[in-house]
Amino acid sequence: MCKMKTLTRYAGKAFPCMLLLAVMVFFVSCEKDDFQKLEKRNWQLTWSDDFEGPAGQLPASANWVFDIGTGDGGWGNAELQSYTNAPANVSLDGQGNLVLTAIQEGNRFTSARIKTQGLFAQKYGRFEARIKTPYGPGLWPAFWMLGESVTTTGWPQCGEIDIMELKGQEPHIIHGTIHGPGYSGGNPITKSYALINDRFDAGFHLYAVEWDQDKIDFFVDDYLYQRIKRDEVPGEWVYDQPFFILLNVAVGGNYVGFPTAQTPFPQKMTIDYVKVYQEVN
Amino acid sequence: MNSPILFNLKKYLPAALLAFLLVACERDLEELKPAAFPTNPEVFIDGFSAGLNYAVFGGASPSAFDVDNQVTWNNSSASMRFDVPNAGDPSGAYAGGVFFTSTARDLSGYNALTFYAKASQSATIGLIGFGNDMGPSTYQVSISDLQLSTGWKKFIIPLPDPSRLTAERGMFIYSAGPVDGKGFTFWVDELKFEQLGTIAHPHFTILNGQEQVETSFTGVSKTIGGLSGIYNLPSGVNQTISLSPAYFQFLSSDPSIATVDASGKVLIAGGPGNAVITAKVGEVTADGSFTVQSQGVYQHAPTSSQDADKVISIFSDAYANIPVNYYNGYWAPYQTTLSADFDVNGDHVLNYTDFNFVGIEFSSPTVDATSMTHLHVDLFIPNALAATGQIRLELVDLVANVTGTSTRSITPAQTQQWLSLDIPLASFSGLSKRTNLGQLIFVDVNNNISGFYADNIYFYNASTAPAAPTTQAPVPTHPAANVISVYSDAYSSITGTDMNPNWGQATAVSVVQVQGNNTLKYAGLNYQGIQLGSSQNVSAMAYLHLDYWSATSTSLKVFLISPGPVETAYTLQVPTTGWRSLDIPLSSFAPVNMSDVIQLKFEGNGDIFLDNIYFRKN
Repeated sequence: MCKMKTLTRYAGKAFPCMLLLAVMVFFVSCEKDDFQKLEKRNWQLTWSDDFEGPAGQLPASANWVFDIGTGDGGWGNAELQSYTNAPANVSLDGQGNLVLTAIQEGNRFTSARIKTQGLFAQKYGRFEARIKTPYGPGLWPAFWMLGESVTTTGWPQCGEIDIMELKGQEPHIIHGTIHGPGYSGGNPITKSYALINDRFDAGFHLYAVEWDQDKIDFFVDDYLYQRIKRDEVPGEWVYDQPFFILLNVAVGGNYVGFPTAQTPFPQKMTIDYVKVYQEVN
Repeated sequence: MNSPILFNLKKYLPAALLAFLLVACERDLEELKPAAFPTNPEVFIDGFSAGLNYAVFGGASPSAFDVDNQVTWNNSSASMRFDVPNAGDPSGAYAGGVFFTSTARDLSGYNALTFYAKASQSATIGLIGFGNDMGPSTYQVSISDLQLSTGWKKFIIPLPDPSRLTAERGMFIYSAGPVDGKGFTFWVDELKFEQLGTIAHPHFTILNGQEQVETSFTGVSKTIGGLSGIYNLPSGVNQTISLSPAYFQFLSSDPSIATVDASGKVLIAGGPGNAVITAKVGEVTADGSFTVQSQGVYQHAPTSSQDADKVISIFSDAYANIPVNYYNGYWAPYQTTLSADFDVNGDHVLNYTDFNFVGIEFSSPTVDATSMTHLHVDLFIPNALAATGQIRLELVDLVANVTGTSTRSITPAQTQQWLSLDIPLASFSGLSKRTNLGQLIFVDVNNNISGFYADNIYFYNASTAPAAPTTQAPVPTHPAANVISVYSDAYSSITGTDMNPNWGQATAVSVVQVQGNNTLKYAGLNYQGIQLGSSQNVSAMAYLHLDYWSATSTSLKVFLISPGPVETAYTLQVPTTGWRSLDIPLSSFAPVNMSDVIQLKFEGNGDIFLDNIYFRKN
């Protein structure tokens, strides 16, 4: 590697040095454009929760309501946990995060599921959350959305957008999915994104969808890994209504399989923030 | 050896030098680093990596390991094959060995030793690991009981704090024994070091994660054990590892009280004061801690001087101790007393804290302390007393169901020093029997003794007195005409008297010679009768006389009995020093019918010698 001081001392040899330097600069500048080239979009923040507050406090009731109990047949998925609104299962950690904790008590599990239903929903836009996932066989964290019409038209007619789901026995893979009429349950539209030589529970990652009338884009750490276009959907496109947000940690169920005696408990999903944007022109 | 590279350089050196000067700038010596060991991560891929050697453990089958070209992972050209012998195989009891390199490797860039493995049947490998180099083996990591199946599966041995692994020679160690007596084969392939981002959440423990607290003293040492690590594997399940102390950095919160070295050995350096020993592996603090409560230099209890064959020891390093059920019964719900017993270089000490009462039990079997004379206890009150305290000692006979108590006052000036208690067993108030002693209880009477050390707890026999009289009883002088004799060499006694009627007694009766004089001996008295040869009219007599001798009795009564039976006792003082001669007024035995006395009876305990039992006139 050339140093400036050598150029002054050995003027006769400056030319070969500078040639080398110039060559190196050219190659270095090529690296920047390796990442995806995506159109720039103008986002304006419409809703957010940064989960500031003292440790042990429940998430703000202006933003979130709780799903409680075991739902209908384990929330339709044969999930094993019972959801609560106890701080041990859902509370701020005093460091700017919300923590959802799955706890094992003998053969039973408790956890939490919170949602913005009735408090906030939005049609189209960018929905993102910065999350550190739990891990272990049978753990099933999710950051997802449901169409507001779930209470009237039911599911899957209301549509479901799963921004991030993970199976705890594969802590390096997340899945982005949509469920709609004709493509739901066991055969939704889904794509996986895997980390090479890393795992999602080892740090925070940014999970997002950008959704407009023509498409839903799925991102991990601002990398677009899935684009679902309106005309490619093998059934009805039902994503033209406001959707609300859900966050939960399930244990067991048809999607992930059973936890085992080797699943370490308790397990935590740590959420730094949830932010929602609308596109402005 | 003339390397071809070296040869060519010599030929072309001038040209090479010129080229070098044209292209390169001047070399800055500050950029030079010391030569490091090679960082080659491969141990066995399709053969031994460079510099790898193999050695077999003593007692292991020497031919257990071989290279296999048929059974390999992912169709590679070779794998490592291990044949675990059947039980009883003459070539060796198990398969075990070490793969190590001649030249050290710098492994600081890798956080795991990984490999693929399978077995000819479902099997467990007892030990598999890293870091044994047949020498110092400083940084060992191992996994116990690795489960192999018949399909290839990848295994990971996490390496904690690789920054320490800059010069390692011990690459791989294994040890496997037969399963249910049967040998099997297992294969290992693609054995190499990797830097994995897929293992996470390392936790470590010292003392198995416990927060231990110990009272200790200057000069005592203890090595921290219970070291382990847990990593989460790519499949989301945890893997426990054993790791050597060298991976841990041990810390003392106060080195003037306790120091700790790199091997986890704690040495108490001073006191009084506390020090907390903790540890880290890399940046991760281990769970568990060791708090030393140093009392400073330990004052040992006084040396015990009793002969071992006159001692029944409950707790002492000077004597063999009898079986003890427990030194602290933890009698819920009222007992608060805890135990924090300690050991200062082989001197074991009982240490009771949060003291209200505490019991020591020795009931399997119980102790027969009849021939013992004293209880010895050394006590040390480590904390100051604001006012005089009292400690009550209780001895319980578990068969007779009696408790004897003895209370000792302790003034504030008597704290922080050893107090030696030698308590005569006869002075334990209420201890009428001590044939089946089973408990010793300490009680804090004034509620102000917060704790105490105890040492050298034992019963002993202090009596230097003989077990039998060496002189005969005093020769009677009363005129024979005034005497009706029951037992004496000086008079003619009532004929036909049975000195040992069978009343179901435990007492052993015999006649012994003392200076040529016949003397009656009752051994192990509980009760004993004398059946007079015929009914006696002693109404003209004034006294019952008897001479008695006992070193061991603590209770003795004599009865006169008339038909009914009507019996009345008279208490005799025991033990005696030498012979005691007594004239008991017959009026003491009312309402026994003095014109029709048929029997005498003795009740009590211990060994009694009797002579010159007779009625006499005034």
